[in-house]
Amino acid sequence: MVKIRAASDVGGTFTDLVYFNIDEQTGEVRSVEAEKAHTTPPNFEKGVADAFSKAGVSLADVEFFAHGTTVVINALTERKGVKTGLITTQGFRDILEIARGNRPDFFNLKYQKPEPFIPRYLRREIAGRMNYKGEVVKPLDLSGIDPILEDFRNEGVETIAVCLLHSYANPIHEIEIAEHIREIWPEVSVVASHEISREWREYERTNTAAVCAYVQPTTEQYLGKLETRLEENAFKGVFYVMQSNGGIDTVTATKRTPISIVESGPASGVLGAAALGEALGMKNLIAFDIGGTTAKCSLIDNGEVAVTSQYMIERSEKSAGYPIMTPVVDIVEIGNGGGSIGWVDEHGKMHVGPQSAGAAPGPVAYGKGGVEPTTTDANLMLRRINPHYFIGGEIEADMAAVEAAFAKLGARLGLSAQEAARGVIRIANNNMTNALKLVSINRGYDPRDFTMVAFGGGGAMHATALAAELNIPKVIIPAHSAVFSAWGMLMSDLRRDYIRTQPCLFVPSTAQAVSDTFKEMEREAIAAYEAEGIARERVRLERALSMRYQGQEHSVRVPVAEGGLTEAGVAAVIEDFKAAYEREYTYRLDNAIEVVNFSIVAYAAVDRPALAVIDEGPDADAALKGSRRVDFDRDGVLDAAIYDRSRLGRGAAISGPAIIEEAGSTTVVFPGQRVTVDDYGNLHVEI
Amino acid sequence: MSSTAQELSPDFDPITIEIIQSSLSAITDEMFATMRRTAMSSIIYEVLDFGVALFNDRGELASSGSGIPGFIGMLEPGVAAIKKKFNAADIHDGDIFMLNIPHHGGVSHINDVVMILPVFAHGSLIGWLANKAHWVDLGGAFPGGISPDATEVYQEGLQLPGIKVIDRGEVNQAVLDIILMNSRVPETTKGDFWAGVASMRAGQKRFLSLVEKYGEAAVRHAMTDYIALGEKIARAAMTDLPKGTFEAEETLEDGRVIKAAITITDDAFTVDLRGNPDQSKTSLNSSRDATFVDCQMIFKAITSPETFGNAGSFRPIELLTDEGSIFDAKYPAAMSIYYETSMLLFDLLWKALAPAMPNRLTAGHYASICGTFMGGPHPETGHVHGIVEPQLGGWGASQEHDGINALYTGYHGDTFNVPVEVTEQRNGLMVDRLALNDAPGGEGERIGGKGILLDYRILAEDWWLTMAYTRTETGPWGLEGGLEGSTNFVEVVKANGETTRHAACTAIPLGVNDVVKVYTATGGGYGDPKKRARERVLEDIKNGYVSKERAKEIYGVDV
Repeated sequence: MVKIRAASDVGGTFTDLVYFNIDEQTGEVRSVEAEKAHTTPPNFEKGVADAFSKAGVSLADVEFFAHGTTVVINALTERKGVKTGLITTQGFRDILEIARGNRPDFFNLKYQKPEPFIPRYLRREIAGRMNYKGEVVKPLDLSGIDPILEDFRNEGVETIAVCLLHSYANPIHEIEIAEHIREIWPEVSVVASHEISREWREYERTNTAAVCAYVQPTTEQYLGKLETRLEENAFKGVFYVMQSNGGIDTVTATKRTPISIVESGPASGVLGAAALGEALGMKNLIAFDIGGTTAKCSLIDNGEVAVTSQYMIERSEKSAGYPIMTPVVDIVEIGNGGGSIGWVDEHGKMHVGPQSAGAAPGPVAYGKGGVEPTTTDANLMLRRINPHYFIGGEIEADMAAVEAAFAKLGARLGLSAQEAARGVIRIANNNMTNALKLVSINRGYDPRDFTMVAFGGGGAMHATALAAELNIPKVIIPAHSAVFSAWGMLMSDLRRDYIRTQPCLFVPSTAQAVSDTFKEMEREAIAAYEAEGIARERVRLERALSMRYQGQEHSVRVPVAEGGLTEAGVAAVIEDFKAAYEREYTYRLDNAIEVVNFSIVAYAAVDRPALAVIDEGPDADAALKGSRRVDFDRDGVLDAAIYDRSRLGRGAAISGPAIIEEAGSTTVVFPGQRVTVDDYGNLHVEI
Repeated sequence: MSSTAQELSPDFDPITIEIIQSSLSAITDEMFATMRRTAMSSIIYEVLDFGVALFNDRGELASSGSGIPGFIGMLEPGVAAIKKKFNAADIHDGDIFMLNIPHHGGVSHINDVVMILPVFAHGSLIGWLANKAHWVDLGGAFPGGISPDATEVYQEGLQLPGIKVIDRGEVNQAVLDIILMNSRVPETTKGDFWAGVASMRAGQKRFLSLVEKYGEAAVRHAMTDYIALGEKIARAAMTDLPKGTFEAEETLEDGRVIKAAITITDDAFTVDLRGNPDQSKTSLNSSRDATFVDCQMIFKAITSPETFGNAGSFRPIELLTDEGSIFDAKYPAAMSIYYETSMLLFDLLWKALAPAMPNRLTAGHYASICGTFMGGPHPETGHVHGIVEPQLGGWGASQEHDGINALYTGYHGDTFNVPVEVTEQRNGLMVDRLALNDAPGGEGERIGGKGILLDYRILAEDWWLTMAYTRTETGPWGLEGGLEGSTNFVEVVKANGETTRHAACTAIPLGVNDVVKVYTATGGGYGDPKKRARERVLEDIKNGYVSKERAKEIYGVDV
């Protein structure tokens, strides 16, 4: 008997479905399958159902379903949320429009500031005031609220954000307002800021509540339709939604504050890397994903996925963007992917990206009318990709067009076509190296202590060169690397992040108060899970403090052990803080230390399948397809052995120069590098 | 995979040069990020009143990291000052120099402390790194060092005349002790000192790894080539500029008149400031270096705002000043409020060019840093705090757009205000209101952006306020028939209701329940108000941006 665990990820063009067939006897994954169907806007749930039927999977057999969706980010970037009102503290309705006053495009005197999501006439104030300690300075005056709601009804408002000053310290006024609205106007959607964030900074928290309210009705409706569709098809398993923090969560929780899924997709690849590392006994990893238009990386330190609440949308060198205070896996993303275009500017400088040839016309090699050479074309030009096995043999690459495109590009710089193609790869690699440095060296981590997990269509193609550049000793190309993000969703636990700003000095005398705050937050986390039927035994809690030298702004995250905090414990935490601070910033101070944020990560374990062991096959020659001349840039143009990845068994070993081909990806093995295949079919490349 | 310098041809391949040049900006970006994360005072990490830069061995700016355009060109004269003072034989690997005297170059006022580190590769000087940041207090007659009442630089804080504070890696503890002893906030000062060191050492490490990888010759060549590219871009953009002489003048609030004449030819951008008033007896003076930065900023804005800036970008600029004038003040003139003088000039240059360049320039903005300095004991801890804050204001309208509401000045950039929730906790005061200022003014076919209203309530005795704003009497200028904007000022409302209005004041005492109310200006309008579309006026009325009465009077829209 087979049970199915499935994950679907809705993309712009395709809806991916990845599922495990699980042997009920052994609990092992018998096979990993993938299917895709066309994405069907605006009824995205149809695409999901289509993918299941195309795969021939009966929803009745699916016991676990995780879903990644771009519904929230799409509603935000396309401005397709609903009409939203804001209720805030008297004197502060313009906070949303004042924002932080910054102008990143600083030579430009005609800068345009991002427009607030809620116009001024829908931003209303109510009397009542807290101070930073959470004490009521002026009582809440609820009498002002009914006329505001009346105006909102007349204006056609469908959703209301509530954000008051210092509600992170004491949310009672926000709760009273939200309860009052729900009582007298039950149809309207209400989001109060403390339900999403208990961190300070009023503009960021107000904007977070505003955008969350803005997308809430749309998201609730979509998830409701998907639930209905699944139920109609006899689905009886559990349905989870992929969150931005690298965990999954229930549909009920997601519907309430859907901003938590704003980066639903990208987070799952990082989580997959962490899950794979756990299975292989590796704790220090750099997850690296190259897709069509971007490359993304994130560092996993001692098994911990880095999560930040300083997430921004639409932030660029030209715009201040919008802050969203929701926990998001800390990913550095750059505009360099397989489809990124190599070009020469008016001053004779070569660049790669951020423009991308996209799916249409796509790289020049597609022969669909693309004339500007892309990174993928450069890899073809250097014969790292096999022109006769392009996209798994689906297309015969148009090499005449590719060569012509590089000849034209090279002519502008006095370079040959081949040199221009190498240039595109070098510049793309340099851009990616800089991104990788941002998550590692620039934060005080030594790349030599890390293993890179490379995935996505282009990860395997560039990872080995980048690792050599950064002295990363090992690269793992996971089995199923092209659908690795969805694989990550299938390996995920439930995860909720609770962060609370409560500034205090960190000294032995405050140890009890610190412990009490943690205990209170943990009770809240456990109660929330229990209310949804998730038992205490399944819940695992991790504590951390964000700390800084008194007077500083930016803090360092320090993990804290469970249980009560003793005086010796305080000293140990202080030492951990100083070490972490010194690693990141190179010095120590004797100044007093303060806590800014308390954080709890509450995981609820989900039964995970064991990875299946592949057949033994120590003789790599069995997978040898032949050889060809491949350009390894500074290492020269060499004869490289070409292997078929699907025929490599566990224990196989390969030495570079070599190329390992699979349908969705190509691994480039440079001279001197050595590859072994592990029990689960992952490639380990020693650099 | 190996990449060695030997493989490079003598004339260097363009790909390698491109990679080195993009690495130079990665270095200054990292220095900037490190400084921001480690600094102790909000004026650095939040207001971003700091900048970092990388120079070639000759001290020419190759790359800079800054949140503020006004700091891009400021550090080059600082490196020149060190090169002038020290013999090459006395400059060693591991040295760090400090300077802060505006009349000596590289700084704008005493509070801006510059640190400079020479970078050596295999024993030879290959470049320089510099870091400049606003230090909260270096002593002097006034808390925070800044006052419109200062008459000589001696009153503005401890002077650091290009001294070696770290000698071959060893801190000169005596010097550091003197600096800390002279500061009213030694802990913060110490933190900001080490933040500066950490930032430059991070940059040095990265710089050297670049040399290691590509070789000294290639890195030297890439820097020279990058500066040449900066010049090429600037000169190419000049061909599109209208040619001729563009003039403007402005009457200051004390009755003095300032004026500027800018002449643009095919290959020069000449700013003539001769004939301006003599240097002031107060601290409203700027150094020639600060004045030159104004010229750089306006030149960059009209030529190539979208690209990087380095020494080459500013080569076409020529500046003419009278020594001893307010734009080229001589030692020992006080300069702590230089930024308002520089701002006046920046606004004047902007005003001269705007009518001819509507594609690049808006009508006048609030044009005052509105530096607001307050301090006193925290009501909970008794710890004495100092607040140093510029204020947000309204920007001018343009031919395409309404002006921007609540933005920092054109002198600022990726500068952030301090959140109300943070300031209340840290400083122990209360903010009663932070709102857009709906004062009339700045109307036009396109309307000027709004300034702010910010009310600070003092919660302890023994507080003080120092401030000096400009544009307190005359609002920002309109364009093409757009109306003048409103003005910047402060009102102090004492607990007993007594109210005073200020354009400038020094250390006036404040106590419990006194309220400091900041008002900043609406920017200038663009075009005849009568041409503003009716539906836009109705929207403005609905949003409370304009009253019905004012709408009828100015736009002729009757509701």
